[in-house]
Amino acid sequence: MKKAYWIFATLAVALLCDRAGGWFLGKITKESQFRYSRLYNSTETEDVLFIGNSRGLSYYQPYAEEKTGLTTANLSYNGMPIDLGALLVKDYLDRHPAPKVLVVDISMMDSVRMDNKLAYQFNHYTPYSERLSNLLAKDFRNDFYAGKLSHLYRCNSEVFQRTFYYWKKSDKDWLLDRVISQSMVNDVDKQTTLRFHYSPKMMESLMDMVKYAQQKGTRVEMVVNPYFPAFLPKIGNLDSLMRDISLATGATVKDFKDAVTETEAFGDYQHVNKVGARLYLDKLIEAGVLK
Amino acid sequence: MIFNSLTFLAFIALFLPLYFSLKGNARLWLSLIGSYIFYGWWDWRFLSLIAISTLVDYYLGRSMEDVNDDKKRRKLLIISMVLNLGFLGFFKYFNFFTDSFVTLLQNFGMNPSVHTLRIILPVGISFYTFQSMSYTIDVYRKQIQAEKSLLRFSTFVAFWPQLVAGPIVRAADFLPQFHRDHEFNWDRIVSGTGRVLWGFFKKCVVADSLAPFVDQIFMEPNGFASVNLLIGVIFYSFQIYCDFSGYSDIAIGFARILGFDFNENFRTPYFSQNFSEFWSRWHISLSSWLRDYLYIPLGGNRNGKLATYKNNMLTMLLGGLWHGANWTFVFWGLLHGVYLIAQRQLGKPFGALMSGLRFPPALKTGVNIGLTYFFTCVAWVYFRSPNFENANDLFAGIAGMEGFSFVNVMSKFTVMKGVLLIGILLVVEVSNLRMHWSSLAFKNPNFRVAAYAILLLLLAFFGSFGSGAFIYFQF
Repeated sequence: MKKAYWIFATLAVALLCDRAGGWFLGKITKESQFRYSRLYNSTETEDVLFIGNSRGLSYYQPYAEEKTGLTTANLSYNGMPIDLGALLVKDYLDRHPAPKVLVVDISMMDSVRMDNKLAYQFNHYTPYSERLSNLLAKDFRNDFYAGKLSHLYRCNSEVFQRTFYYWKKSDKDWLLDRVISQSMVNDVDKQTTLRFHYSPKMMESLMDMVKYAQQKGTRVEMVVNPYFPAFLPKIGNLDSLMRDISLATGATVKDFKDAVTETEAFGDYQHVNKVGARLYLDKLIEAGVLK
Repeated sequence: MIFNSLTFLAFIALFLPLYFSLKGNARLWLSLIGSYIFYGWWDWRFLSLIAISTLVDYYLGRSMEDVNDDKKRRKLLIISMVLNLGFLGFFKYFNFFTDSFVTLLQNFGMNPSVHTLRIILPVGISFYTFQSMSYTIDVYRKQIQAEKSLLRFSTFVAFWPQLVAGPIVRAADFLPQFHRDHEFNWDRIVSGTGRVLWGFFKKCVVADSLAPFVDQIFMEPNGFASVNLLIGVIFYSFQIYCDFSGYSDIAIGFARILGFDFNENFRTPYFSQNFSEFWSRWHISLSSWLRDYLYIPLGGNRNGKLATYKNNMLTMLLGGLWHGANWTFVFWGLLHGVYLIAQRQLGKPFGALMSGLRFPPALKTGVNIGLTYFFTCVAWVYFRSPNFENANDLFAGIAGMEGFSFVNVMSKFTVMKGVLLIGILLVVEVSNLRMHWSSLAFKNPNFRVAAYAILLLLLAFFGSFGSGAFIYFQF
């Protein structure tokens, strides 16, 4: 048995380092300026709350704040599915004074292009949110319990990498900075049709989020963010999605899909860049969405 | 069952204590049943293929030994070849050759009505078929004696650590090891565990972290900035290396724990200075199999330049086809055949040119390694692409240099993580050439505890679990 000591020693050292590392990374998570760290670890008052997927990053906060004088928070993330988005918004509303307006990008209503496994990347925020813990324990059981076993594993995700990256700096500037390539512009006709695949369960999550915000006294604005103009004919069922959302929530979806027309305002077919974000925010302000 | 799964963790937790508590035939039975469970977890129906292949080769091997007539021995060998290659041909290549034949006829204006079959490719068929075939060939050549125990032979064919993705072990090396009862040995546990952990690091940490970026690029190369395409190709070269050599490390490690020794399958192949060296360092068990059972029987380099080139090319083409039923794999083999021939033709003039330039030796080595790596990556593009169109689009995209700047790098966090992990891999592998980490871990218990704990922590912090099957399973 004496010869086996190294196994126990290895496990003990690994566990000790895991706990020490976990403690340090937990401290980073708490102190980070990343949007979700601020969600869970600050009680700041913000006037506008944005939620969406990567297209929701086009709510370029520095420009919105400069133009409107309103303070903003953005909970959007690449591939954000509606159920997770709704959970984060509810957590926000429970911890912060109610914002004046919640702006929702409805392209989250898609089960195919959204990352349905994104929630497990929020493992390092589970100590702060019962809702998140319950979701992970239900849908990502192995990852959730692996995170209990190893605190480093809890931080094994791109969301944590961003938490670390924004440890000492604001994430409000997070937006595409590239211009769509000429070959992408030329190949737009070759693209397959984009269709939104949404289910009654997703619609329920959206309705639940809208109601929750309204109960807190927050106005809800649902919008369609801009697409690259030549890509618009490739979008299949956006109109029926907008109609179904209006029927379910009783609110009108404001359509800005063709609000930006300049080629150099896009990073690709579905995302505006910093130039486009400014143009788009001007339209949102004009339409009274941000007030 | 795959190594990077909770099921396997449960399997090994049950298997190891049982294995060391048994001896003799009981242990062989456990190994055989364990191997069949390991394989059958994926699809139990295909166990019958392994069983048939095992039974036929066992009885043919025995018969070959009992017969002195060379013609009869040859007949028995042919039966074994037909059966093994027949299984492989049907399950792996039937639809490929049917489709290719139809396309060929269509090119001549004919429209044949041929139906392809819905055939599932049995995992690891190429590996265990080659392993089993090497046994009958070696018995035929009288290089080894036929195995007398069916139980031992069945365990040799189905041994779970290397059953589905190699290394392709030879009967001459491996079968005699079944004749010994392996005692529980702490030294083997120490070195085997280290090897297993390093394999998991390569697979779960490096390969699976690079996979999402690579998949995106190769699925539809159009529309990506050239910088992303280039990163995708480089990432793939490390993904496939870490995926496959990671599997070999895990297999070698577990075999070592169980008391068996496998030959090395990879030796830092991307540090090769030419293509013959590359093939002596990449998937060594396959390249040596092809050398011994195909290239040399074809005549090797014994019949002049042209015949050597022909043999080289044929071996590489079949090596390409072994990997998969697609012309892109054949083309990959063709490229490597061309590289080997070009090396024979141009090696000397190129060496003279380098000497003339009076580069310092380190720079010369660097240029050789760089060129070999570059051309290897060119071939990888065809290996990974689903078709020639995608591969050509990818090359056109890189050559166009559109959007070749850091600002256009997509998924920057994934890329940064990938670069960091490749960096760790290279530092460990390069330093290992001098430091011999595994022997250091073996001799120094404190270093071992630290090194193994670091690997566990890296797995926890960077590892991807549950999603990625090993690439070579499909071969």
